[in-house]
Amino acid sequence: MKFRWSHSFIILFAIGIFFLTGCDNTSSNQDQDTNTTQETNQNTDNNTSANTSTETNTTTETSTTDSGVIIPKSGGILDFAVPRDPPSFDCHRENTFACIHPIAPFYSLLARFDQNNYPAIVGDVAESWDVSDDGLNYTFHLHDDILFHDGSKLTAEDVKATYEKIIFPPEGIVSARKGSYLMVDSVEAPDDVTVVFNLKWPSISFLANIASPWNFIYKASILAEDPTWYESNVMGTGAFKFVEYVNGAFLSGERFDDYFMPGRPYLDGFKAIFINSMSARVAAVRGGEALIEFRGFTPTARDDIVRQLGDEAVVQEGPWICYLNVAINNEREPFNDSRIRRALNLALDRWGASDTISKITFIGYVGGLMRPGSEFAAPEEELTQYEGFWTDIEASRTEARRLLEEAGIDEGFSFQFKNRAIGDPFEHVGVWLIDQWSQIGLNVEQVVQEDAAFFADRSGGNFDATMDWECGFMDEPDLQLFKFLSTGVSGSNYSRYSDPTLDSLYERQSKAATIEERIGIVREFERYLFNEQAYTFPTLWYYRISPHWAKVKGWTQLPSHYLNQDLRDVWLDE
Amino acid sequence: MNDTSAWSTLKHLLLEKPLGAIGFYLIVLMILSALLANFISPYNPLKTNFGNALQGPNFFHWMGTDTFGRDIFSRLLHGAQTAMLIGFSTSLLGSILGALLGVMGAYFGGKVDLILQRVLDVFMAFPIIIMALAVVAAMGTGTFNLIIAIAIPIIPRVARVVRSSALAVRQTTYVEAATALGSSHSRVILRHMMPNVMAPFLIMITAQLGQAIVLEASLNFIGLGVAEPTPAWGLMLRSAIDFAESAPWMGIFPGLAISIAVFAFNVFGDSLRDVLDPKLG
Amino acid sequence: MQQYIAQRLLLMIPTLFGVALFIFLLMRVLPGDIVEIRFTSEGGFVSEEMIQIERARLGLDQPLPVQFIKWMYGLIGQPSVDAQFPFIHLQAPDLGVSMWTGRPITEEIAIRFQLSLQVAIMGTLLSILIAIPLGTLAAMYQDTWIDYSVRIFSVGGLAIPSFWLGILIILFLLNTFNWIPPFIFTPIWEDPGKNLTQLIWPTLAIGYSYSAIATRMMRSSMLEVLRDDYVRTARAKGLLEHVTVVRHVLPNAMLPVITVVGLEFAFLLGGLVVTEQVFNLNGIGKLFVEAINHRDYTLTQALVLLVAVTFIFVNFVVDLLYAAFDPRIKYE
Repeated sequence: MKFRWSHSFIILFAIGIFFLTGCDNTSSNQDQDTNTTQETNQNTDNNTSANTSTETNTTTETSTTDSGVIIPKSGGILDFAVPRDPPSFDCHRENTFACIHPIAPFYSLLARFDQNNYPAIVGDVAESWDVSDDGLNYTFHLHDDILFHDGSKLTAEDVKATYEKIIFPPEGIVSARKGSYLMVDSVEAPDDVTVVFNLKWPSISFLANIASPWNFIYKASILAEDPTWYESNVMGTGAFKFVEYVNGAFLSGERFDDYFMPGRPYLDGFKAIFINSMSARVAAVRGGEALIEFRGFTPTARDDIVRQLGDEAVVQEGPWICYLNVAINNEREPFNDSRIRRALNLALDRWGASDTISKITFIGYVGGLMRPGSEFAAPEEELTQYEGFWTDIEASRTEARRLLEEAGIDEGFSFQFKNRAIGDPFEHVGVWLIDQWSQIGLNVEQVVQEDAAFFADRSGGNFDATMDWECGFMDEPDLQLFKFLSTGVSGSNYSRYSDPTLDSLYERQSKAATIEERIGIVREFERYLFNEQAYTFPTLWYYRISPHWAKVKGWTQLPSHYLNQDLRDVWLDE
Repeated sequence: MNDTSAWSTLKHLLLEKPLGAIGFYLIVLMILSALLANFISPYNPLKTNFGNALQGPNFFHWMGTDTFGRDIFSRLLHGAQTAMLIGFSTSLLGSILGALLGVMGAYFGGKVDLILQRVLDVFMAFPIIIMALAVVAAMGTGTFNLIIAIAIPIIPRVARVVRSSALAVRQTTYVEAATALGSSHSRVILRHMMPNVMAPFLIMITAQLGQAIVLEASLNFIGLGVAEPTPAWGLMLRSAIDFAESAPWMGIFPGLAISIAVFAFNVFGDSLRDVLDPKLG
Repeated sequence: MQQYIAQRLLLMIPTLFGVALFIFLLMRVLPGDIVEIRFTSEGGFVSEEMIQIERARLGLDQPLPVQFIKWMYGLIGQPSVDAQFPFIHLQAPDLGVSMWTGRPITEEIAIRFQLSLQVAIMGTLLSILIAIPLGTLAAMYQDTWIDYSVRIFSVGGLAIPSFWLGILIILFLLNTFNWIPPFIFTPIWEDPGKNLTQLIWPTLAIGYSYSAIATRMMRSSMLEVLRDDYVRTARAKGLLEHVTVVRHVLPNAMLPVITVVGLEFAFLLGGLVVTEQVFNLNGIGKLFVEAINHRDYTLTQALVLLVAVTFIFVNFVVDLLYAAFDPRIKYE
């Protein structure tokens, strides 16, 4: 409490300064100094408290799930913050977490990722499934007691209609991830509780795509009547029923009493509150207007929240399947010369930055094309062999300068780097990149653009180098490596190159028979990209920080903000 | 009031209007720090040094350092360049165009005036920040585009005020005489009418200067200002928001700089108006 | 007078048409495409085929003149012949649906309008409450310390960027009271207390910064009136100073203040972009920025027209007020 008061004095003081704009500079400087010492002390406190609470959190989570010491309580309304409104309620056609966070509680999936055992996949409306020996037929056996919110029973027809909308959308209907299901030949519903997917070729990634958080199960009769109905209406089998949506303000749901899992959900309801500005979201959690935000906060926001809430806060931290990468325009002189691109990659001190940048924004893991720590990621001793990941940054920069000289690039060569007008983490990483490149004698100008213009320039090739990024819900090479296929093959490759080597390596890993073989090909893919071409290269991977009220239980942060949002296991300890 | 008395007006203002005098000296101080930034700033404002990040004000960094370990005092001095550049060029550009349009409307009258007024109404009908937003969106960010974006909304506002003064000047005998003597339109407008609306023109310029600096900061807040790593006060303030409590010095100093600049231009402008023409708003 | 009103009303048509045409073209000139923003802003692999389908659905594949005429046609109100009554009806203007949310624009705006209107009214009232006494004081005691303090105080409102002031207010509340104002809007007739606890803070921030302009205007128009002959006469008649001010000076000095405040009011309705972000107010300004950022053509166009209509209307009313209050002004 004592700290809080002293704190408010700082704020008052700051306000005071603004009112008395004429006051002289020297005295305010001195006052500032004394205040600063207090601040620093507080910061040290915060860091320790943040760490302890992370630990506490882990222990409680384990005890809940493993030994069952803590029995979840029922009741209560969960208020959580969402950074934006959902563009529509139909996540089959949307591509933003802002669709999933408020809407996922209303729906079930066919299968889902297990929050206590990620990346294991467990059933949702499917009780179990079998795979044929040739890997071409997936048979899902559904629970037979699942009801929609209108009281009607869910049958295999509903699952079939849902997946047909996703995989073979009717004319004029957008299905955002249609391309992930090219292996599917047909979907059948032989009886009320059985759904069969027939594949054209065996695919290791198929099951992960069935557990995709976007694929809400809809009702067949509604889809038959109007495939756009779900854009502005809700009718699912999820743990919560839709109550109200006020555009721009909030969206609320209440407990669905006939949910098929006995005893769930624990909550009586939820309210997703839409808060655009980051500082307002942090304030919302600090003031208890929202108990949690499910995307992630910056390290500073975490410290502010923990300082305010003390013991009432816990922090979950961990890796995140998201990274920023640098896309280089391979059609432009002189960037069509691989030596220059490699030099740009070699200039980056990723290991050094992972310590420093992680203090100011939610970025920091060093990794290649697959999430560091995941099954397919290169272990450190292999990673450090890739160009741009050497531990000796001086050697790396010397090599970069040599390549530049060889390519005939003069000291002080200047080009533009285009970036989004978003502070965290884009502009921070942008400033870092420019600083890194200046250390091999390049003079790079950052051009910050508002989103729409940025996207137009990026897809139109109007850039020398531009910021690019990728987020996924699954550590799956089929999904992660897709970005690096030739432009035209991959819709999200903005670097404008065509490379059959990468395309064929992708094809080979996708159809590899064993995991080991697949891992080997993924490594080959990375080596080729980093050491020979460097068309485009990752900077650093995100790390996800979820500080929230300790009374929110039963939610485990996974490495993706798209996952685990059905809220059926979440409960309030109050 | 005519050109020759400009110096005596200033002297009068400095002696009789203490607030205006403070404003004037602050403006001079800011212009000086903008001009001399390259020589007096202790560090390179662009030099990042993560080892030094987020230091509070101390002997080596008088105003502390920011998230990248850049010296805030040096960035503040260089930020004065951006602020003065944006402030002066937008208000000059906007006010000159606005004054020309206002005088033209008053001089020609009739249909020309009517059409001109409707066109200006169209521009007036947009909230300033929305207009600036649209221009930045169309042309992209960056200092030059920002100047255009902030200057455009100034034009109709200046034109309105200048027009009403010019209407009175239009009726005076010497403009009538000049027209009767067959002087060309441009000659009458530039030689006879413009000098006589100097008072409202100057007042509008100083009033817009402060506005432009705040508008630049606001545009930065919604992500459409000057690009990092250019030192600019609005940009510094924006990146300080997340650190308002853990590193308050990041926000206090640029915030103070903006406030002082706006304060200086406003009180100077007010006093100038008091001296030149108390009837103007 | 009637002729003047008719003329003014008639002149609104070309101005509004100009605004409509201008914003229509401006939006199309802006780089960026709503479909691209929607599907690619978080990465992902939405194919070109899907992007074309969505563009066609939004009517973006049609030629520009067709898009413009359709929009105007909806705005004017489609004439339709009713079977039962042999008359041609003009329907209410149809603003269409938002390209981003697919919901009717009237609904999108209606939700936000109430909040924005209330903040605008409260902000305007507060700025008047600050401006009139302070401006009067400053003018009566011109060039004394009272004048200086008033001016320093009021310039402070301009000098602090509103987002920074808003953030300081929020941090102050959080640190002192462990509390922040509610984030969800409650209409004032449902729960005035809750409504005010949310809106009083942005009102303070807005009222203070807008009072700067009004105070300055009040001060200078007071100064002007104080120099007028009839005030001198009143003083000469021996009327007490404050009686003179209240009876004779204030009413005349307030006219220009009404103009300024009136015009600011129109902008408060749609231009509180930054304040609404900071306090997370679900108002027109926030909607405006989102619409532009999303390149939601239909919504942006509708919002610009809304602000323009308000602006022009307020402008008109202010002019009429002038004529009503000031016997010296006559419109012919």
